[in-house]
Order: sequence, then C-alpha cells, then structure tokens
Amino acid sequence: MPSILVLVFILQLVIHLINTFGAVTINNILWRIYNQLPTPASKTVAGQRQLKKQLLKLKQELDATSSQNEFAKWAKLKRQHDKMLEQYEKSKSSLESTQKTFDSTISALRWLGTNGLRMLLQFWFQKQPMYWIPKGWVPYYAEWLLSFPRAPLGSVSIQVWSVACLAMITLVSDALVAAVALAVGINAQGDEIQAKEKGNGEPMTMSASTEKVKEL
Amino acid sequence: MSTALINTDDEQLEPTLQSILDQRSLRWIFVGGKGGVGKTTTSCSLAIQLAKVRRSVLLISTDPAHNLSDAFSQKFGKEARLVTGFENLSAMEIDPNGSIQELMGQADEGEGPAAGMGGMMQDLAFAIPGIDEAMSFAEVLKQVKSLSYETIVFDTAPTGHTLRFLQFPSVLEKALAKVSQLSTQFGPMLNGILGANGGLPNGANLSEMMEKLESVRETITEVNTQFKDENLTTFVCVCIPEFLSLYETERMIQELAGFHIDTHCIVVNQLLFPKRESECDQCNARRRMQKKYLKEIEELYEEFNVVKMPLLVEEVRGVDRLRTFSEMLITPYVPPAGGL
Repeated sequence: MPSILVLVFILQLVIHLINTFGAVTINNILWRIYNQLPTPASKTVAGQRQLKKQLLKLKQELDATSSQNEFAKWAKLKRQHDKMLEQYEKSKSSLESTQKTFDSTISALRWLGTNGLRMLLQFWFQKQPMYWIPKGWVPYYAEWLLSFPRAPLGSVSIQVWSVACLAMITLVSDALVAAVALAVGINAQGDEIQAKEKGNGEPMTMSASTEKVKEL
Repeated sequence: MSTALINTDDEQLEPTLQSILDQRSLRWIFVGGKGGVGKTTTSCSLAIQLAKVRRSVLLISTDPAHNLSDAFSQKFGKEARLVTGFENLSAMEIDPNGSIQELMGQADEGEGPAAGMGGMMQDLAFAIPGIDEAMSFAEVLKQVKSLSYETIVFDTAPTGHTLRFLQFPSVLEKALAKVSQLSTQFGPMLNGILGANGGLPNGANLSEMMEKLESVRETITEVNTQFKDENLTTFVCVCIPEFLSLYETERMIQELAGFHIDTHCIVVNQLLFPKRESECDQCNARRRMQKKYLKEIEELYEEFNVVKMPLLVEEVRGVDRLRTFSEMLITPYVPPAGGL
C-alpha cells in the first residue's frame, strides 16, 4: 500500500517544516494572506491603514500649525486629531481581538491537520503492514521491534515507519542547514577578505591622488 | 426678546448669558476656568443676575482659596448665609479637602454618613481615590437638596481641580460598584469566617457597612445623572484672551464633552479698551494681542455664547460694584468709540 507510505512521509515532512519555521511565523503569514482576501477583516485592516495615514498627515499638519498664532485652526485640528486617534485605537483593539481568534482557529486546525491526522492514521492502520520484509533478513527480536506494536510479525508497522521518516527528514534537514551555513560562512569570509584587501588598497589611491595634487 | 436677538444674528450667538437666565430648568451652574481669570467675580455676578429672575439662588465656592467672602466683603462659612442686600441669594464656602476629616470625626462620634464603619474598614473605604471629595460633594448636595434652592451656582477651583471633581462621581461609582459586587459574592463566605454575626474588628458589621456604601453610591449616581442632563446642568467657562488661558479652556471644553456635561457659554474677561488718544503703549499692545485671540475665540467657538467683559479701573468688590459689573453679563458692554 504505497499511498499510505507516502502520506505518512508527507505528514512528517509537514510537521517538521512547521516546527522549523515556527507556528507564529506561519500564523502571521496566513493572517497576511487572509487579509489579502475579500474578508470583513481585510476591510478593517485597509480602513485602519487609511486611518493611520490620515492620522499621520493630521499630526504633521498639527505640528506645522502654530498654536499661538492660529489658535482656532490649531484647536480644530487637535479636536480632529484626538477624535481620529480614539477611532484608531478602537479599530486597532478590535482588529487585535479578531487576529487572536483567527490565530487560535488556525492553530486548532493546524493541530488537527498534522498531529491529529497522524494519530488518527497511526490508530487506523495500526494492524496493517506498511510493507513486508523478506523472511530471515533480520533476527526475530528485530522483526518484533519493526512490527511494534500491533502489525503482523515480519512486516513494518505504521509507527515504526513514521519514526523512520522523521529520522530521515531530520537528518537531511540538518545536513541542508549545515551546508547552507557553511556556504554563507565561506561567502562572509570571502567578503571580509575582500574588504581587507580594499582597505589595504585605499592608502595607495590616496597617495596617488596626493601625488596628482602635487603635480598640479 | 432673546429669541428675537438670536434670530437677527445668524452667524454668532448673542454675546450674553441671557440664555442661562431664560433656561428655567437649570439647577446646577458651574463656573470654572484657569486661576486668576475672574471666576469668582463672574460667578458672583451670574448669581446676582439669577437672583433677579429666580425664587432663590445659592452660590457655593468649592475653591480651597475662598474668594466669596472677599468678593462680597462679607464672611461666609460652611452654612448657607444670605448675602447682605439680597433676599433670595445665599452663599457658602466648602472645602473639599477639609470636610473629610470632619466626616471621619463625625463617624467616630457615631453620626454622619460614615458612621458605623469600623476604623479599619473606614480607612479602606476612604482609600478609594477621590472618595473624600466625592463624599463631601455628596454631603453638600444632600444639604442643598433639603434647602430647596431653585438654582445653585458653583464657583469651582482652577481648571485641573474642577475636572477632577467632576470626574469623581464616575470613578467612585465604578469603585463602589466593584466593592458591592464583591461583597455580594464573597459576603456569605466572609461572614462565615467572621462568625455568625458578621462582626469585623472594632465592632463594625459587614452588611451594615455595605449598606452604607450602597447608599453613598446611590447618592453619587443620582448626582452623576443630574450633572449629565443638559436641562439641569451647564458649565460656564471663564477665560482671558491669552494663549494659556485659551488652551486650558479648549482642553476643559473637550473634557467636559467627554463627561457629557453641557457647556455653551464662555465669558472672556479682562478685555482692555484703551481710548482713541491713549498714549499707553502697553495698553495698546495688549489690546492688539487680545484682539487676535478674541478673533480666534469667535472663530473656534461659533456655537457658544461668548460674553466679553471689560477690565475695569477698579477692583470688583462689594455688592454694589458686583451689581454694576453683573449687568454687563446681560447687556453687552459697549467699548468707547474710536478705540483700537
């Protein structure tokens, strides 16, 4: 049954990716995407952005107006500003609460979609062999371990397959991270060396220019 | 007559306090502004004018620096006293800070609104911010109610203080609502701990104390609703045509709007009107500055009655001078012709 094999692998990969990037980052990205869609929240966000722009403009105008020389104008601006600020704070707090609900909903859905699904699969297919290993390849106790907990003896259980997938994914991702870090480190070192060379070169150019000045 | 006046001038409301005199439903009139702008003079003058058209008027000063006695050249105290030369105008001076000590003193003797609260709980109750002033305020209002004056004019303390004062009812109401809610929730439990009769240290009783607090809260709630009713209460802002005073006035008007307290009158005091051939450079320069700010006031407060009061050459003290001065609140002062 290859589809379940692949499914478990993909699931583990997704869980690993989520753990690597962090749930908060993913929530924020999803929130941003959600606000791009024509939802009521996106309208509020757009309104708030507009409000912030106006508020800043008003503040600028207020700062540019002398309260001593044009008191009436200044006071009117100030009233407008205070009113808008209040409105802004209100919309901000309402938006924050919306985001909170959104975050908790997304978190719940994410858990259901990953760990929940994993548990369900592991429960559902616990008695099903993922694949069979040829007889006599491994000793009895290893066979027993591979079929742990409830798959028939001589096969690989879904639990063991999950663990194997996870181990592989972790290994590969660690290797990738290390490779990237190495590459970046080499690049940075190269930059440093280049910078040093440049630093050495500078006095040369300077002396050249002074020579030019002398010539002149 | 006044309506006719309003109708003739669409752009600006009439520059008098006639509207306050005409609004018979007004019960509480606050007069406030920055220190030294002539609040006391204005409130005294307004009270004098009101006394002409109302059955009875009471003038109360809540400013710790009492000026009523100075203005009328007559000693006033915590009890309402008739002003000499009037039959329906009384005045009294209360000290919002001082009366709390008195209240505590009364409580120790077993009378007054704070009586029956044991020492500890009393301290606790009075630790609620602003309760002292609000309590004394409530006490005054109770007194005032029983005295059945038709209109009460408050000569309030300088700006910041005034606003604090007016804010108290709402602050206190919230605090007391919390306290009584807690007491209903935990009262039985507390009583269980404290014993069958619910006795607190110093022989106080929890339920009794809560009843007392509740009654204070009710009084304050009532005051609060009265102050927020524009038919009952208005605030007269007094200012002088100078930047800081104007700034404070604007702030005050915005804050009053926040408390839902009606205000539609501004008295601009201490206006200089130098004569045409005046050689006084300072006077002329000041007049020019005042004109600038007057223009700003008129532009900003279109929907207000802006009353312009001149700076006199003598101090406005004593009943007679106040009477003359007060006329200008109703019939606008006409500056000498040909001046700046």
